[in-house]
This record gives sequence, C-alpha cells and structure tokens, in this order.
Amino acid sequence: MSSRKALFLVLAIALVLGSLPVTAQDDQINMTMWVRSIPFQTQALVDEWNANNDSQVELTVIPSGEFVTKMGAAIAAGEPPDIASIDLIYTPAFAAAGQLVDITEYVRALPYADDLTPAHMELGMYEGRNYAVPTGVDGSFIIYNIDLFEQAGLDPDNPPSTWDEMLEAARAINALGDDIYGYWFSMGCSGCNAFTFLPFIWASGGDVLSDDYSEATITSDPIVREALEFYNTIWEEGLVPEGASIDDGSNFVSAFAGGNIGMSGTGNFAIAGYTTDHPDLNFGVFHIPGKDGGAASFGGGDVIAIASGTEHVDEAWRFIEWTMSEEAQIEIYAANGQIPVRLELVDNKYFEGDERQKTAASALAVGHTPYTTVYNDLFNDPNGPWLEMLQVAILDGDIDGALELGQERFTQIMEG
Amino acid sequence: MSSAILNLSWEQRRKLTGLLFVTPTVAFVMVFFIVPLIMTVYMSFHDWPLFGERAFTGLENYQELSNDRQYRKSLDFTFRYTVLVTPPIFILGFILASLVRRNIPYIGIFRTIFFLPVVIGLGVSSLLWVWMLDDRIGVFNKILLDFNLVPKAQLFLGRPNTAMNVVILSVVWKTVGFTMILLLAGLQAIPDELYESAEVDGAGYFRKLVYITLPLMRRFIALALILSVIGSVLSFDQFYIMTRGGPRNSTISIVYWIFNNSFTYFKMGYGAAMSIVLLGILVALTGAQLYVLREKE
Repeated sequence: MSSRKALFLVLAIALVLGSLPVTAQDDQINMTMWVRSIPFQTQALVDEWNANNDSQVELTVIPSGEFVTKMGAAIAAGEPPDIASIDLIYTPAFAAAGQLVDITEYVRALPYADDLTPAHMELGMYEGRNYAVPTGVDGSFIIYNIDLFEQAGLDPDNPPSTWDEMLEAARAINALGDDIYGYWFSMGCSGCNAFTFLPFIWASGGDVLSDDYSEATITSDPIVREALEFYNTIWEEGLVPEGASIDDGSNFVSAFAGGNIGMSGTGNFAIAGYTTDHPDLNFGVFHIPGKDGGAASFGGGDVIAIASGTEHVDEAWRFIEWTMSEEAQIEIYAANGQIPVRLELVDNKYFEGDERQKTAASALAVGHTPYTTVYNDLFNDPNGPWLEMLQVAILDGDIDGALELGQERFTQIMEG
Repeated sequence: MSSAILNLSWEQRRKLTGLLFVTPTVAFVMVFFIVPLIMTVYMSFHDWPLFGERAFTGLENYQELSNDRQYRKSLDFTFRYTVLVTPPIFILGFILASLVRRNIPYIGIFRTIFFLPVVIGLGVSSLLWVWMLDDRIGVFNKILLDFNLVPKAQLFLGRPNTAMNVVILSVVWKTVGFTMILLLAGLQAIPDELYESAEVDGAGYFRKLVYITLPLMRRFIALALILSVIGSVLSFDQFYIMTRGGPRNSTISIVYWIFNNSFTYFKMGYGAAMSIVLLGILVALTGAQLYVLREKE
C-alpha cells in the first residue's frame, strides 16, 4: 500500500468514527408519522409534542388520494413510517395484511376506552384485537340555510325529521326563485354519497350490506329502493341544480356557501370554513333522518396506528395516548373547532353555546361505518358500483336496473 | 489497462468503440423497458397485492380477463375512440400542413400557433377543457347562450354521447399540431419539380395529391398514423381528468381500467396481465399498419 493510500484509509476511518457518536450514543428517539391531507389538527399536535418531549415526531402529509398507495409501497419497500394516521375505512385492510401493531393491551389500559367514538373503535379492530384508535373524527349530518327556511315560511327551529318533511321543505325553498334550490348532492362523487346518503338508509333500519358484512343486501332490503326513490324524486322535481348531477365533489362544500341552497349533506369539516369564510351565512344543522324518523350518521375521519416494523412501539404509543389526553383533546382539538375523539369531552368550554357544533359532535354517537376490506372498491371508487348504482337510479330513474346492477357488482367484488 | 487497449488490433478497437457508443442506449432501454417488461410478465403470473402475501397463480389472471365485463367494455370503448379520433387528427393535420407548407413571410407565426397546444401537457390541457366546458363559468356555454343557440347551459361532460365528443374535440386541438409538423416535413421533402412537370402535363390538384403527394409521403403518413393510433389506444389522462370514466362508467379506456385495477383495487398482478395483452394488441395493430403502408416496389 502506498503512503498516499494509507493516508486516505486513515482519513476515511476517522470520518466514519467521527460521525458515529452523533447517531449511536444519542438516546433521542425520532419517529416518522404519515397523515393524509385532511383538515385535522395533526400539525398542531405534533408541534406541541415536539416542544415538550425528548422524542420527536416528524410529520409527512400525503395527498389523500395517494395515501394508501404510498403507504403500501413504503411497506413493500420495508420502510413504513412509525406512526400512521389512516382513513378509518382502510384500517381493516391494513390490519388484515399484518401491517399494524396489535395494541390491544395498551387500549385495555385506557380508563376512557369505552368513551372513544364507537365507529372508529370498531374499524380499528380486526379479529377481536385492537390495531388503531380514533384521531380525527367526523360524522355526517344535514346543514340547512336558516334564512331560506324563514323566507319559505318554514320553522327553522323545527328542521325536518322525516323524508317527507325534507321533501316538503325542499319544495318550499325551491319555489322561492329560479336560482334557489331546495337541496344539494354531488352525484359525481362516490365518497360524498357514502358519507351523506348511506345514513338515510341506516336511519330507516336498512343497509346495503348484511349485518356480518358478508353479502350485499341491495335487492333484498326494501329500504334501499325507497331511499333511491326519495333521492330520485329530489332530482326529478328539479330540487337540486342540474350541475349537481356531475359534480365530482369539487362543490360538495362550496355549493352551500353560495346561499341559494336550502339543505345539503355535510360534515363537521365544513363548518369551520363556513363560519370563518362566510360569516353572513346563517345556518343550522340536523341529523340525517330515516324515512319516518330516527337518525344516523356516517362515522368518518382517521384512526391512528403503529406500523409493523417500527423499533419504537412504546414511545409511539406514548405519543398516541397523549393525543387522546384531555389536555390535547380540549386545547388543541376543541379549541380549533375539531370534534374530540372522546364523547364525554364534547361538552367543553369551546363548544358551549354552539348548538351546531354539539349536533355535529352528537352525530358521532349514532355514527356507523361499513366494516369491509373492500370498502374502497365498493364505495369510494369513482368507477365503482356504489356511484354507478346511484346515478342510474337517481339521475336516470331506472331503479330496478340500478338495484340489479348494484347487487351484482357488489357481490362480484365481495366474493373476490 | 491503457496498454491493454493499445495492444488490440484495429478491428477489435473498432468493435469496442462501437460498443461504447451504443452502451448508453442499451443501458437506457434495459433499465426503462426490458427490465420493467420482464417484471410485468413475472407479476402477471402472480396474485400480487400492494401489501400482503404474493402467490404464484399461473395463468389465472389471464383466464380472469374472459370474465371481466368491464375489460371488454373498455377495449370496445378504446377501439371506438381510436377509430373516431384518428381521422380528424390526420385530415386536419394534413390540411394545416398544406396551408403552412410554403415558406412565405410570417408563416412561422401560424406554424407556431397551430403547434402551441402540443407543448402543454395532456393533463394540463384536459383541465383547461374541463373549465372551458363548465356549465356555469365555461366559455363554450357563454358563447352558445349569448347567441341563443341553446336554451340553457349544457352539461357537456355529463352525458355519454357529448362527453366522448368533447373529449375528442379537446384531443384533436391538443395533438393536431404534432401531426401537422410530421406531415409538413413530408410535404417539404417532395421536390417542386415533380409538381411543375405534372402541371405541364395538365394535372389538377387532386391528381397531384393522389399520384404525387400521398405516395411520396407514405413513410411520413405511416409514422403520423402509427403515433396517433398508439397514443389513442394508450389514452388515459383525458378520461381520468375530464370525465373520471363517467358518466355511468361509459368512458373508461383500457389503460384507465388497468390503472384502476393496479392502483385502486391493488390487483397489481391482474393489471400486469392486462398490460401484457394490451402490448400484444399494440404490436399487432402497429404491424398491420406498417404492412398496409409499406413501400411497394
């Protein structure tokens, strides 16, 4: 070996050794966390945690539409994040594939475990074990324009509680003018209608899936047909703007903000935007009713889980447990208009006096979410059977054809 | 090392030089075509979810194709779309190329205008058209309403028959400039003397077109048609962005269906199998076109 080569070798070894203490002797735990791009207070949570703890969480926001693909690719590459905030409907699929850490023992130790939003807890379970807990919760309900209700001679303090009352209210508001409509739905958006139309069926005691989620009940449950007929009437009578028929969800929130829509299905995520960006909008909210009364809601949002393969299970849980603490739930969630994941904390100083927020939060008590590993294929896919069935039934008026088509394609997907 | 090269014969050094010249291309084709192709073939014989266990399933994915109603619907739709979109692109491209053929002053301005839509991405142009076609703020409805041509704003993308037509319109606008440039090169390669002597013999416009222009442009026409047909068979962006496959799933092209299976339903193996079948279809289509448009002696 020449002297020059020897010198290089020594320098290289020194370089490696010199860099080692920084990583090897440092006790600090650095965890990565992924969240999809949704308007929850995740960044505020992480900032607060990082400011007060030795361990640090690095947050990466992934566009919602790409989350599952990216997460799957990261898992396949052996580099998943330590913590993941996942759209709750995907949790069974991730848990079934063995990609999440079993946190049953941690959950059992929580004094408030029974108080966590039920839909999210159910979706976080797989074969009787817990894999995730709620982190961002939202239930669907109907938002209504109080000014239009008053102009139409309706009592805004007694919003509709049955389908017939909704139809009557929509007709009365529609009669106010050419550019005023009784209702809004985004009939080009699959997810929007899972969120806001399914509860009409549930509140009437019906469902599109059997109780054990093993088969489709679209043709066998008469409520499904009646709910489709209800929406078909809204469309046929021109109670929604024509553009609603092709809206892909772009106007799901903004349509109501225009002030010319009487009622619209929505979620808590929209309320904060309406109050800050449209202070003149005078609105109230009510639960999504069943045919002859009752109420239901789609429990949506995110659950938080620890990904398999992390070396920091205990520390990751410490972070997750802290996000559910009273301190975080009140001062970060409620203070920013986000619904706490613990139902007992819905009555808090920030929600006091705002009945809308309370109604929105109480929707979660009647919240329900389909439990199926093929949720995306059935309901969320813009080319999936759910949206096609709705469009054929509601826009084309072919209810029989839609039911047959829905039943057949649901069954095909569920049988794999 | 350096002395080793010097010891080579002239013939060997020539071969080595040639090898060095093609190495980058070979490496590029290997990394971006051959290896992915082999991987796709390999995947197509497996049940390959995004995460979870992979399992060898043999020809099952290919057998599933015969039961996939949407696959046949998509093939049929893609074929109809290709048949409908290719003639306007070609004919309009040919007319534009004829118009801008002569090198007269300021002709470059027109060539640039016609070519401009080609340089923006298909995704961007599709979004542009979505807004132009919008029922509330779109320019098309504004014009139609102002001239009283329609009683109320039209939902162009909301009806199966108009959705396909407006997508075709947008794609023609977007791609016709490229066909124009290809055909322009062909037109300019034909010596003027041929036309002059034909005129002396009394040939009119159509005789010159049929007996001089088209035969001499055969290669350019073949290239333009092949690229256009391949582009249409592989269409995805315009439907993904403009129609989202709707209304009522009537505009799901074959690549859209492959995308859905691979990245929405995470049936990567099945998506791979469909891709391989599509590759076969494209090879056959291109082969047929090359055969029809071959140079006849």
